[in-house]
Amino acid sequence: MSASAQGSVVTTKATTNDTSDAQPPHPPTKTPLGEDDEFEDFPAQDWTQEDSELPSGNQHLWEESWDDDNTSDDFGKLLKEEMKKVGKDK
Amino acid sequence: MEAYFAEVREALATQDGYRLAQTMTPVAPSDDPDRLHNFHRGCTAFDVQNTIRQAIIYDNEAHIPPSEGSGFVDVYVAYWKVLGVILAAEETTNGGEQADWVNVYNCWKELASIVNRHFDNAIFTAWSLPCLYVAGKYLRSYAILADEVAAKGNIKFNYGLSDDVVDGMAKHDYLEDASRKLTDFYKTCAGDRGPLDDESRKWGIYYIVNLQFKTYFKLDSINLSKSVLRSLQALRQDVPDLSLFPLSQFVTFKYYEGVIAFVDEDYKKAEECLNEAWNYCHKGATKNRELILIYLIPCRMITSNVLPTKALLSASPNLGSLFEPLVTAVKRGDLAGFDAALEAGENAFVKRRIYLTLERGRDICMRNVFRKVYLAGEPVPSPEDQTVSMRPSRIPIANLVAALNLVSRHNEVFDSEDVECFAANMIYKGFMKGYISHEHQIVVLSRTEAFPGTGI
Repeated sequence: MSASAQGSVVTTKATTNDTSDAQPPHPPTKTPLGEDDEFEDFPAQDWTQEDSELPSGNQHLWEESWDDDNTSDDFGKLLKEEMKKVGKDK
Repeated sequence: MEAYFAEVREALATQDGYRLAQTMTPVAPSDDPDRLHNFHRGCTAFDVQNTIRQAIIYDNEAHIPPSEGSGFVDVYVAYWKVLGVILAAEETTNGGEQADWVNVYNCWKELASIVNRHFDNAIFTAWSLPCLYVAGKYLRSYAILADEVAAKGNIKFNYGLSDDVVDGMAKHDYLEDASRKLTDFYKTCAGDRGPLDDESRKWGIYYIVNLQFKTYFKLDSINLSKSVLRSLQALRQDVPDLSLFPLSQFVTFKYYEGVIAFVDEDYKKAEECLNEAWNYCHKGATKNRELILIYLIPCRMITSNVLPTKALLSASPNLGSLFEPLVTAVKRGDLAGFDAALEAGENAFVKRRIYLTLERGRDICMRNVFRKVYLAGEPVPSPEDQTVSMRPSRIPIANLVAALNLVSRHNEVFDSEDVECFAANMIYKGFMKGYISHEHQIVVLSRTEAFPGTGI
């Protein structure tokens, strides 16, 4: 029961540790998502700017916080109808 | 075993700190999986001192100073001892039994103390600092395992006693003990009074500080992390600039500095730090990239009102499920969707301390509703120039009420007073430019930049 769970925890730790202070970079070990939100040791001590960039580059990662001004979407239509109703009620 | 000692001597001779540190980890290298067993079996408690002394001092091709040499003999003897305990504990665990990690912790702590003492007495010099890192790193790991064992023991021991409130709380006696030891490590590094050159122990400071952050975060004590930051700030003139340290230490430090600022609601500072962590993070470190973004995304939402693109969220499946529903709702001005997403993610958000920050995204969501109402207005001729048509800048509050009731949850009904209050809030926070005419029940929007920064 808990003993086998304990075993798996230890194994994960050992493999994670394995990649830590090594000079030749190892591939980073994956820990199960959500298990522990801890900043992990990096696979290498130091690296070049090249290793810091994602393949897709750092562009187009952020966008504006509103939808395109498209009032023909469902919500826009609904809103226009609602506005008309409000207008008539007056 | 001869190969092992050859490796140790080689690392000593070339003063390769990281290589030397690798010979004193409790994890065997992948190309020599039996190294720990072989080394441990190669000596007995009676001859270990002599064997190691022979290997390091008498076979001294490295010509290391005698005091440093005997310092390392002390370290390797302690390492040999703790290895016996660790290997036994691992065997017990593999056999499905509860191992005595408390004993492992205590033995490793002895090793860590010896390493620290030799640095403190300047017997070991800066090049071998990675040995101090390994000592601290595993001290922390074993403390966590020891706490788990202690927690299980407590439940058994106190079973049936009335103070079950205390039992229910996670205790971290060993991790707290480890954190005090790490404070000693910090003092060892910070206390080097020598010149600030390659020989200074101050080069060890950021690795140790990062370990302290990690430990205090696990202990849920942001305040102690802050006092480490303050202490480091006071030393800043006497410590090499952070940019001169390896990127692994730079990025880790920036991450923690950013999260601490984030928790303090200093979003500008947090964004700065997290951006740097993001920009220099190793591209293969998926988990770390994800962690940086978990704080950078709410941060940028507050500071610049921008949201992550789908491309950014797809960096990890975790990020997508965490933020995608919220982001979509904000952009659409879907208040009900926003509330539902916030509620669905509540546990995850609270756990990461981002709930309250994300909640502030509701303002942006509402801004988008008001903006849509404005955009839905049929253009009318401008009063100054009849040939130019423009959107009506006077919005009946009744329209805003209708729109909000359309997008909010069914059990939530707004009236014109609520909406006046929201509008006042929007104007106060700078999301909208204009004024409210309570008498006429309209909101009069500015003719230019009615919704600043959104292109209209």
